[in-house]
Amino acid sequence: MSDALVRLNGVSKVFRGRGGAVTAVDDVDLEVRRGETVGLVGESGSGKSTVARLVMGLQPVSAGTVEFDGCPMTSIKGRQAASFRRRAQMIFQNPFGSLLPHFTAAANVAEPLRLHRVVDAAAGQVRARELLELVGLPPRSAELYPHQFSGGQQQRIAIARALALEPELLVCDEPTSALDVSVQAQILSLLERLKDELGLTMLFISHHLGVVEKLADTVAVMSRGRIVEQGPAEALFEQPRHPYTRQLLAAVLPVRGEPVPLPEDPWRPEDDDGVRMIEVGPGHRARIGAAEQPQAVR
Amino acid sequence: MTADVLLDVQELQVQFRTERGMVRAVDGLSYSVARGEAVAVVGESGSGKSVGARSLLGLLPKTASITGGQAIFDGNDLVGMPERAMRAIRGRRIGMVFQNAMEAMSPTITLERQLTEHLIWHGVCSKAEARERAIRALGEVGIPEPERRIRMYPFQLSGGMRQRAMIAMATAIEPDLLIADEPTTAVDVTVQRQILELLKAQKERGTGIIMITHDLGVARFFCDTAVVMYAGQVVERGPMAEFIECPAHPYARGLLGSTIDVGDRHRKLSVIPGSPVDVANRPSGCPFRTRCALADADRCTHAQSLESVSPGRVAACWRSHDHV
Repeated sequence: MSDALVRLNGVSKVFRGRGGAVTAVDDVDLEVRRGETVGLVGESGSGKSTVARLVMGLQPVSAGTVEFDGCPMTSIKGRQAASFRRRAQMIFQNPFGSLLPHFTAAANVAEPLRLHRVVDAAAGQVRARELLELVGLPPRSAELYPHQFSGGQQQRIAIARALALEPELLVCDEPTSALDVSVQAQILSLLERLKDELGLTMLFISHHLGVVEKLADTVAVMSRGRIVEQGPAEALFEQPRHPYTRQLLAAVLPVRGEPVPLPEDPWRPEDDDGVRMIEVGPGHRARIGAAEQPQAVR
Repeated sequence: MTADVLLDVQELQVQFRTERGMVRAVDGLSYSVARGEAVAVVGESGSGKSVGARSLLGLLPKTASITGGQAIFDGNDLVGMPERAMRAIRGRRIGMVFQNAMEAMSPTITLERQLTEHLIWHGVCSKAEARERAIRALGEVGIPEPERRIRMYPFQLSGGMRQRAMIAMATAIEPDLLIADEPTTAVDVTVQRQILELLKAQKERGTGIIMITHDLGVARFFCDTAVVMYAGQVVERGPMAEFIECPAHPYARGLLGSTIDVGDRHRKLSVIPGSPVDVANRPSGCPFRTRCALADADRCTHAQSLESVSPGRVAACWRSHDHV
């Protein structure tokens, strides 16, 4: 058995609408190994959320394959699909929108246990309370409804619900983008702790480079549906190789330290047409022509 | 107070009428903005940062009212100013840029009409000149092919372009003061940087800017002065560089510690426990005391006034001096 829990091979997704076809994801190769957190960064419209939805099987791919634990998703049907959904869970940007408003916090968390008939109702309630405690909510919160919580607390409930089935994979799509700065820090600390305690495998999507750097072991940078660079977080942030990665990093305004001047000649997605990914370091690949490859790193 | 001061806000109070009674959304907001100065009003949601600025232009919902304080702009108090007089100031001498251009512009009217109407109404130029001037304004904010784009409706532009168009609309009229309410929150980082550069050019021309933001990176990049709000109150105010270097108020310190920069991989996040306090249930005394690690049961239950911690700098915490 390989240690890759999720593997995308040449995955594309084309949406067809009245305005014509839009290639949201274009020939993406990506691997999420067990126990690893893969960060996916990019600007709006880069296709990062679509990748998340393809990995979760929420939408079919247009080309290529998505494998979960060595098994192609297209072949997962019926009973197998139910078991897949137990093994992969997702949290979203808007926690309130993802919770059932007429269910209490405990009932929201117990719902997946009920749906998958994991435990009986009484045991589900007990488990839900344990999970709420795990994500740092006080015991009295179990009987409250989602609207009675703050955004950060709602996201904690959503995380508890996602963890209820003890999934192997947790997909997080902009989990802290709708939250205040101080609350974002709390949720990230929680995810860091859960990652260590439960050995979670995560696909973590965010437009915030600092947040991704903080949480991810491996990072992939997307632009216009393509991955332009991917590699170990340290290497990618310290030695970004693709001009778009550099541009993105330069655009971030730091609170501590000095902002970097923007490149004078901005990179355009067309610059990459026909350019292939090449190895630029151990496990570090970028879509740059061989000519840009400096001798030293080879 | 120097002669260059454009706006001087003193002890502003704004209340909202709610089902639960009157809520003090802004409770004693004071700051001033000089010509060519950018003041950042920072804080989390519900801190009153946006309400405080909007109230200056009478842009609050009917359930809100200013219940105290003053805001002197060019010798006149904006608080309680009759609507007629306000119309000569709002949009003309004090411009406004919002977070979402889609909401700030009419979706059924072309950019041309929105821009020229604005210029003509405020008597900036004649009907004949308005079109040319509007095109120039769009060009100045970096919109390519302004002659063609001016015929478009807001929804036909990308988010970044719309934000630029809104800035063009606010600045074409050359206001003395610009209120920018989260102007880059809805756009991508690369666009954010471009928009801030545009606003920087305005500032260099002498426009005073009030920047309302939750993003400390933006505040630090753009602003000279920081006003930190928590639960409707100012907890710290002073030069930006000093605030970033060594924040005096425990909340300001927590907020900075919670902010994540690129390169923070190995920095331990400092986390403020709990959630931002609801202004409707503000605790007595210091509003931050329920989340503060340094809170002292005797002292913090009493209201904390803004005290000087160093020249030009004030904080509302009896322990501020320990940290500066």
